[in-house]
Amino acid sequence: MMESAPFNYRRLIILVSRLALAGIFIYAGYSKIFYPNQMFRPVALLKFSVLANLSNFGNQVNSYKLLPQAGVDFVAHTLPFAEIMIGLLLLIGWRLRIWACIVTLLLLSFFAMVTRAYILHLPIDCGCFGKPEPVTSFTLLRDGSFLLLACLLTFFVFQEARKPHPWAAPAEAPRSA
Amino acid sequence: MNRRFIVRAMLLGCLSLASVHLLASPGNQKSPAKRTGVSSAAAPAVEGTITVNGVTDIDPTKAFGSRNAPVVMEIYSDFQCPACKQLFLTTTQRVMDNYVNTGKIYLVHRDFPLPMHAYSRVAAIYSRAAAHIGKCEVVEQALFENQEKWEATGDVKGTVAAVLSPADMKKVQALVDSKTLEALIDRDKQLGMNIPVNQTPTSRLYTRDGQPPYPVIGYVSFDVLKTLLDQIAK
Repeated sequence: MMESAPFNYRRLIILVSRLALAGIFIYAGYSKIFYPNQMFRPVALLKFSVLANLSNFGNQVNSYKLLPQAGVDFVAHTLPFAEIMIGLLLLIGWRLRIWACIVTLLLLSFFAMVTRAYILHLPIDCGCFGKPEPVTSFTLLRDGSFLLLACLLTFFVFQEARKPHPWAAPAEAPRSA
Repeated sequence: MNRRFIVRAMLLGCLSLASVHLLASPGNQKSPAKRTGVSSAAAPAVEGTITVNGVTDIDPTKAFGSRNAPVVMEIYSDFQCPACKQLFLTTTQRVMDNYVNTGKIYLVHRDFPLPMHAYSRVAAIYSRAAAHIGKCEVVEQALFENQEKWEATGDVKGTVAAVLSPADMKKVQALVDSKTLEALIDRDKQLGMNIPVNQTPTSRLYTRDGQPPYPVIGYVSFDVLKTLLDQIAK
């Protein structure tokens, strides 16, 4: 029977932060697509609900006043699905270094935008999780902690990649002449 | 049982939960309960209100279109809410042009001032007073267009006065000072809380076939709303 890999704290942090960030991203994408309008039947109403929710999210993105309309439309129609996909990839743990970097960059940009909105006292919704939520110091704290978690994940994932795999055969000792 | 199995099981579990949630949910948010005004804690109708298509407590001065329209659309909004501003300036105007003025929709504005907005109730009162002298649209337009200015200073009166003649402003001020219109705003608020309205803007579309109303929550662009309106406002 194959043995589990040896335990260490680095791998524990990677596992916990990976699963936490996966859950956060999946929920964020899901709530943007399926909240607040939740008419699931018939299919025509489901389609309307999803489009209405994406339209609502687009309005929240637009309120940051950072992107042109074309950019807002692109973000509104792609970001929720991208978040779900990234969450699932983190959950599986495939190509973790790549996705950890992308997650960190995404969270860094979100944190920067929210900080800017907070400093400028913009009376807008955060748009982080679908439901209306003003930008407050709690939003900054929360997004900052997500960013910290992503940074930890990225750091430890790269560190882990440099170590030899625990199941690799030990290097042979050099033969004496 | 190895790690791959555990991860795959978790993934399948998440997907299954999501599928169950989507497919087995009670369906849409069309509440089986109620048309507006017909609630277990119904208060007597406020004087001056009418009923259209089973929708009660409508202030006719804040409603637009033909009362024989096949669809009644209520919009619960707050004058200090940015999403309500966006809805009013982009979507509602086009709904007025394409559906209200063509007799397909009877549009009802309901005031739902939120407690965290300091001046939204004042704006609602001035708007209601202007509606009672036939100047609803011009004052609502002014309030939404200049939302950032008056919410920073609290000068709702000045914003309204800028778009009305001195004689009209005098009539509006008299109505505001008499406080006779506040019961209408309180009634709209109560109706919204009965639904319940959890965020603004919230729209509800009532058809003549007696079905529960279609809720539309949050901002929605005209192009998206049109897909629903074209289906139900035939």
